[in-house]
Amino acid sequence: MTSSNVGIVIVSHSKDVARGAAEMVRQMVGPEVPLAHCGGDPGGGLGTSVESIMAAIAEAWSDRGVAVLVDLGGAETNSEMAIELLPAGQRERVVVCNAPIVEGAVMAATESSAGSSLAAVRSTAEELYAGSMVR
Amino acid sequence: MSAPTASRSVLMKHPVGLHARPSVKLTKLAKSFGCRIEMAQQAQGPWIDAKSIVKVMAMKAPRDTTLHFRAVGDGAADAVDALSELVRRNFDEDHADAPAP
Amino acid sequence: MNAEDIRLLIDVLAERVIAASDELTALDQAIGDGDHGINMKRGFEAVRAEGPAMAASDLPAALHKLGMTLVMKVGGASGPLYGTLFMALGKAMPADPDRAAVASALSSAIAAVKARGKSDIGQKTLLDVLEPVQRALAAGSDAQGLRATAREAAEGTIPLKAMRGRASFLGERSIGHMDPGARSSEIMVGAILDALEQRT
Repeated sequence: MTSSNVGIVIVSHSKDVARGAAEMVRQMVGPEVPLAHCGGDPGGGLGTSVESIMAAIAEAWSDRGVAVLVDLGGAETNSEMAIELLPAGQRERVVVCNAPIVEGAVMAATESSAGSSLAAVRSTAEELYAGSMVR
Repeated sequence: MSAPTASRSVLMKHPVGLHARPSVKLTKLAKSFGCRIEMAQQAQGPWIDAKSIVKVMAMKAPRDTTLHFRAVGDGAADAVDALSELVRRNFDEDHADAPAP
Repeated sequence: MNAEDIRLLIDVLAERVIAASDELTALDQAIGDGDHGINMKRGFEAVRAEGPAMAASDLPAALHKLGMTLVMKVGGASGPLYGTLFMALGKAMPADPDRAAVASALSSAIAAVKARGKSDIGQKTLLDVLEPVQRALAAGSDAQGLRATAREAAEGTIPLKAMRGRASFLGERSIGHMDPGARSSEIMVGAILDALEQRT
């Protein structure tokens, strides 16, 4: 049962990037972390879709919460929108991380696999930008 | 670190060194112990938190580096032993000479 | 506002945005990723299909549904922005609004869009049209005045440097082109005014 670990959701403008990042996470971290990915807009092109983000959150849902990794601005905005559309009780337990999408997902999943809290998972992912001039 | 109660050093022979997957395994194992654990590439440091995936990956320690572990608290001896053994076993990677992330 | 009026509003709005799809694409190709036209067309085709359901409810509910449909179907950066705009309008609008109520609802909707997009006026976005239109509306401007305000505001984005969205990566090169979101906002303002005038 994976639901005792924080879930990880990967949201990219590209379906391929999202899937590839998820594959890397699985290979490096193993099966104990709930994991889902999505990419592409409602028309199937590059972009993001609130609907598919909500579905990914549901797929990776854990009562301990879900950490979302995004690439560019639109992915973040659509993820925030998706979170707001979740029922009360769920939306407080989903956060968007300020981290690079691939490395952030690996770090977050690693932290999650150790049974850490949502706050710890998020801050581990966000360490990646913390030391740099970015953001 | 207040006087460590256990320490061990091990030569890392893994062909690609402390890259992503071994780092994940190392930190996971470190986290399974309650004590504080640190690691370094040199006996005098600088020492980093062995439970921090970001810091361990940032080390990028190459093959033939000696990794130093030190720990303080409950299970410190077990912790440094287990971590050293993991390194000695090349992180249990079957094809240790295959290209990897 | 009755069912017929709502239906008319939705139909004219959808028709105008869909008809402008190529123009919006061209504007977005100049300073964006070229998908604004396609995204808005997809969104408003879905909105048009929801016309009957929207007309069967009151104005606030119809606006909310309009917003939700755009959120789900537009994609890109505009989905959340326009979606938020209409959902917030639906929240703040009474069923039979007078001018003051519309101006007030639009003001809170603009604030919601600013929060969603983490942006403000002067950054070359749809806000550069929405805010002047809201002010003109609140100040008593008639339909002709509102159309002119929207047009001038959209044109006013031409010399601006983009600070938000894909266009912001172009920096100086975004200057000299109208913002696609400003243009689609202008089109919507015109459509809504036309629909209100066409009411019997």
